[in-house]
Amino acid sequence: MTKPIRILLQPLGKTLEVNEGTPLQDVLFDYGVEFPCGGRGACRGCRVRVLEGTAPISPEEEKLFTLSELEQGWRLACRMSAACDLTLELAQWELSILADESPFQFTPSEGLGVAVDVGTTTVVAQLIHRGTGRVLGVRSALNPQAQHGSDLMSRIHYAIAHQGQAKLTRMIRETVGRLIAELAAANESGEKNLRLVTLVGNTAMHNLFCGVDVKPLSEFPFQSPQDDLMEFTANDLGWDCAGDPVIRFLPCLGSFVGSDLLAGIMATRMHCRENLTALIDLGTNGEILVGGREKILCASTAAGPAFEGGRISMGMRASSGAISSVVAEKGELHCHVVGGGRPCGICGSGLVDAVAAGLDLQRIDAFGRLANGSKAMDLQTPVSVSQRDIRELQLAKGAIAAGLHVLLDDVGASANDLESFFLAGAFGNTINSESARRIGLFDCPLDRVRPAGNTALLGAKMALFPEYDSADSMQAILDRCEHVVLSGNALFQEKFVDEMVFPTS
Amino acid sequence: MSEWNSLYDAILTGDDKTATAVTEEALEKGAEPLELVNQYMVPAMDEVGKRFEEEEYFIPEMLLSARAMERSLALIQPRLAASGAKPIGRVAIGTVKGDQHDIGKNLVRSMLQGGGFEVYDLGMDVPHEKFIEAIQEKDVNIVCLSTLLTTTMPSMKTIIDNIQQAGLRDRVKVMVGGAPITPEFADQIGADCYGDSAYSAVKLARNLISA
Repeated sequence: MTKPIRILLQPLGKTLEVNEGTPLQDVLFDYGVEFPCGGRGACRGCRVRVLEGTAPISPEEEKLFTLSELEQGWRLACRMSAACDLTLELAQWELSILADESPFQFTPSEGLGVAVDVGTTTVVAQLIHRGTGRVLGVRSALNPQAQHGSDLMSRIHYAIAHQGQAKLTRMIRETVGRLIAELAAANESGEKNLRLVTLVGNTAMHNLFCGVDVKPLSEFPFQSPQDDLMEFTANDLGWDCAGDPVIRFLPCLGSFVGSDLLAGIMATRMHCRENLTALIDLGTNGEILVGGREKILCASTAAGPAFEGGRISMGMRASSGAISSVVAEKGELHCHVVGGGRPCGICGSGLVDAVAAGLDLQRIDAFGRLANGSKAMDLQTPVSVSQRDIRELQLAKGAIAAGLHVLLDDVGASANDLESFFLAGAFGNTINSESARRIGLFDCPLDRVRPAGNTALLGAKMALFPEYDSADSMQAILDRCEHVVLSGNALFQEKFVDEMVFPTS
Repeated sequence: MSEWNSLYDAILTGDDKTATAVTEEALEKGAEPLELVNQYMVPAMDEVGKRFEEEEYFIPEMLLSARAMERSLALIQPRLAASGAKPIGRVAIGTVKGDQHDIGKNLVRSMLQGGGFEVYDLGMDVPHEKFIEAIQEKDVNIVCLSTLLTTTMPSMKTIIDNIQQAGLRDRVKVMVGGAPITPEFADQIGADCYGDSAYSAVKLARNLISA
């Protein structure tokens, strides 16, 4: 009898159970780890990082990794077999991270700047030449805090119940510091003088980075007493970086809605628009903004990980082998697989498409039930969408759609009155808006929908320049923003249930 | 027995208009209130629960059925009270302090009502002492605690400790539930049982009463 070994995969949050001695190559491929050399230990393509547990170092790994990489836990998946319980970070996740190259207006300034989007799951940093506005480099990493809970609440719980606050703060500061050091080391431009670092993130990320007690975020009314702009020196944060830059975490909008959404407003210029605009950011947490020049309402809701492929039976990130889109043609489902070939899972955009197509083909009814009592809808062998996956999607889209409804109702408008509807974040960029509309994520006309990319990073980058960076211009946005509490809101509760149901056509 | 089957069907399909119409008609024609509850409403909600367990029904269908059941029950309850029929047990239920989520709690409430219990719904974000008051004033047999947030789970332990300190622990059973709750957690904090769904809550409550 061999005993089962549990392997937790980050950032997927997925736990595998395998028999002792199982080669990891056999199981990890299904989760997007690729083996370019075929698993001979000849390349680094299948590298994974051991976050918890131990893995012996093979001669091949000694050759392919530096000493410090080995110390950080980097290993080749093809050299590993299941010997003890493990938590692994899948490096391949990095490929799908959405950076930003959008142009914007700015006044040339001195030196370099770094813009950082501190996400719940991933951290992205860009090095910017403040004279030319050019992006000199980009680095990303998983948010190491994810080891202590993939969603905000479990992370806050860890901070409080396990005295983990200081550890979480240290972890994220170290990670951002490392990314900045890497960017500086790789910088080949003549400019070496780092002047300013701007960080954006939701309120929990702000509080944890800044070392502010997250206890107030743990219960109703979820309002941090300290969520303003906070400034540090490299020394304060224990960073060894030349040029003594000013480091700023931008101010939050209210409750869980953080500076990533302030950045979203700056990037889309929502606060300058005469007509009604909405923005939704679909990440680990879902955020919603509705408004314009006069006033902007904001809200957040735990949308759950369905849009990112998490907690979906065959969910995965949008990488090789993922079904990324599905269309219904002549009563049949046709799938597009990233990289071609046999699919091994489905990512968020594929799930939304699949359910939209299932609704059109009447394989799924308006209540989300699969026709004829079946438990799964086959897409392309061996990938299918299970009844439970559809339920997860119903919860996620129900929460977002209900939140949007509440904010629109507050300004006395309907979705039809929206002039622009921005879909922000990695998922917003890949989702098919027709499918999103079909499942009832929103119901405004399609010609108003605009994929907006990583608006958090773009806004953080804009804040590296004086016209955006001044306390006045940010304060002017903050003054317009009003946070709406969704939990406990009677209309939200009612709409949440209504919006779990799919539109009939 | 099958005379008012349309009441069963209406609750099962969440058709509250038909459910209340049939209930009114049945009561007018002299149907026994308790019989309507036991022969049609309880089995209908049982079936709803089963379908939920089997993933055939989801939250919206369950809420529609619960609403149909609650509206019919509201018509029947005055007659039940007048006839002196006793509920099978009395329950106080609430979402603990710090948490404002109540869809799950409302479903459990409806299922328990549909299952023949008299339920005092204390609402959401309920201060700890309200549970003690309910035990003292309403003479409840079971206290049901709900939370959706990991961060408010510790409140459940505080409430149980408070019940203990007030010397009331022997008078009530405590049932806990909600997305982040596990049977192990229920054990740790000294609850009597953990319910993983609104449907199982009814079975568990019946067991607790008969124990």
